[in-house]
Amino acid sequence: MLILFEKIGGKVGLISEQDKEYLKTEFSKNIKRKVQLLYFTDQEKESDYTVQTKELLEELVSLNDNLSLVIKNCDDEKSMKSENLTLCPSIKVKSERNGFMNFYGIPAGHEFTSFIEAINDMGGDNLPLSEDIIEDLKQIDKPIDIKVFITHGCPHCPGAVRNAHTFSLVNDNIKSSMVDANYFDKVSRENQVSSVPHIVINDKVNFTGNMPPRIFLDKIKEALK
Amino acid sequence: MDLSLNRQSKKSEKKHFSAGIIGSGPAGLTAAIYLGRSKIDTVVFEKIAPGGYIINVEKIENYPGFVEGISGQELGKLYVQHAKRFGAEIIDEEITKLELDKTPFITESSNESYTADSLIIACGSSSRKIGVPGEEEFIHKGISFCAACDAPFFEGENVVVVGAGNSGVQEALYISKFAKHITIVEFLDHPTCEPILLDRINKNDKIELLTSHTVVGFKGDKFLESVEIKDVSGGEIKPIKAKGSFIYAGEVPNSDLVKDKLELDKNGYILTDKHLKTSVKGVFAAGNVRDTTFRQVATAIGDGAVAAHEAYKYLEENK
Repeated sequence: MLILFEKIGGKVGLISEQDKEYLKTEFSKNIKRKVQLLYFTDQEKESDYTVQTKELLEELVSLNDNLSLVIKNCDDEKSMKSENLTLCPSIKVKSERNGFMNFYGIPAGHEFTSFIEAINDMGGDNLPLSEDIIEDLKQIDKPIDIKVFITHGCPHCPGAVRNAHTFSLVNDNIKSSMVDANYFDKVSRENQVSSVPHIVINDKVNFTGNMPPRIFLDKIKEALK
Repeated sequence: MDLSLNRQSKKSEKKHFSAGIIGSGPAGLTAAIYLGRSKIDTVVFEKIAPGGYIINVEKIENYPGFVEGISGQELGKLYVQHAKRFGAEIIDEEITKLELDKTPFITESSNESYTADSLIIACGSSSRKIGVPGEEEFIHKGISFCAACDAPFFEGENVVVVGAGNSGVQEALYISKFAKHITIVEFLDHPTCEPILLDRINKNDKIELLTSHTVVGFKGDKFLESVEIKDVSGGEIKPIKAKGSFIYAGEVPNSDLVKDKLELDKNGYILTDKHLKTSVKGVFAAGNVRDTTFRQVATAIGDGAVAAHEAYKYLEENK
């Protein structure tokens, strides 16, 4: 695990030169198509949180020519709706590849890993799921909305986010979002989150912990009943 | 902003290795460093994130060389860099099945199957549950074993920490950044943490240490509302109002993977000899998962070195 603990002027954490080189190599190896980071933010109410997010995204897209950043205001309700987004700020990782990989809040701490994985997955052809799981996922014919609540200090959370995101690559009916439980504390309370990763499927089924893909899939099936 | 980037490889092209290490904590990654330097092609399988249990620890202060201490995450990062420098491959797949009846040994994850001529089991340990009424009901509903994950949910609340060993006290100090008041409940008549940690909780106005008491239950409606405690010498059960409780009352070995394949002690720890050999030739155990008397980063490091040395000798003798 590579961990970056940079605080520049107590304000912004940027990617170290060493990590930039690593990410450049990884991105050039994995990214085979255009990937857009669509960042919805409230530009009139900027905070350290949203400013840091923007700077992080700008640094990331500078590392590979296939990456681009589009920034929109959350009050652009039409765009938010067309992207199926409900919370602000949010970062959606998009490409021509099927999949709905979204991050409500800043993907910092341990979640930086799942964010990089989402970029690599959207830009590449990787599908880290077994054949039987893929076949089962393909059978889902109703909308599935997965929210994975996380905290930045949680080492177990990126695995749950990755599972949910990769499920969305298999079937357009599946939409997956990471939710920063501390930033969206009201949403967390509404969903009774007191431990992470906490996964909510279609606002109907919820469970806690980074479960193997098969158990996660069983929970999706439970939500479809 | 803190950013943690897990750099391990996603999928390996190779399916056979001379040495396979299950677990990427201090013991497993030290073994990988030593085997790599011996030019043994080595794979490390990791379940959650490289570093093992220490990635949950905010600061490790008793590991030599880091005078001011080092975060568990940062130390884990260094171990990974060090192991990779000498050629170890790290695969982020949980091994769910082992076949040790014949060599090469077979290790299976949910995605892939790999073989290895020798194995080092370094799966570590997990927090032990205390087995009292309400515990199962309120796990993830107020009860947690991971302060780094869940402490922020208890901002301004009362919290009970079970256990006054090093882990309990260290985590209580971390939780005090968020909680209003923390009661550490210890059933012994004294804390078992290092004296330096005791000094710190004594100076922390938010933390109260209650010795000679035991937790006898957890109560609440949908979520935890109180922790019931009792004086070990008798008396009435008393409730402590708390929305959160973190349990650090010892450990259980992560030995389920090998429970019917290797000899274990009565508590589930893998039995080894002084060469860290297990009951199966060619399989070694290192770190918190084996029967040892003291479980620290420093002791796990030593185990990793010994296990690697013995695995190397075994591979040389069985070429």
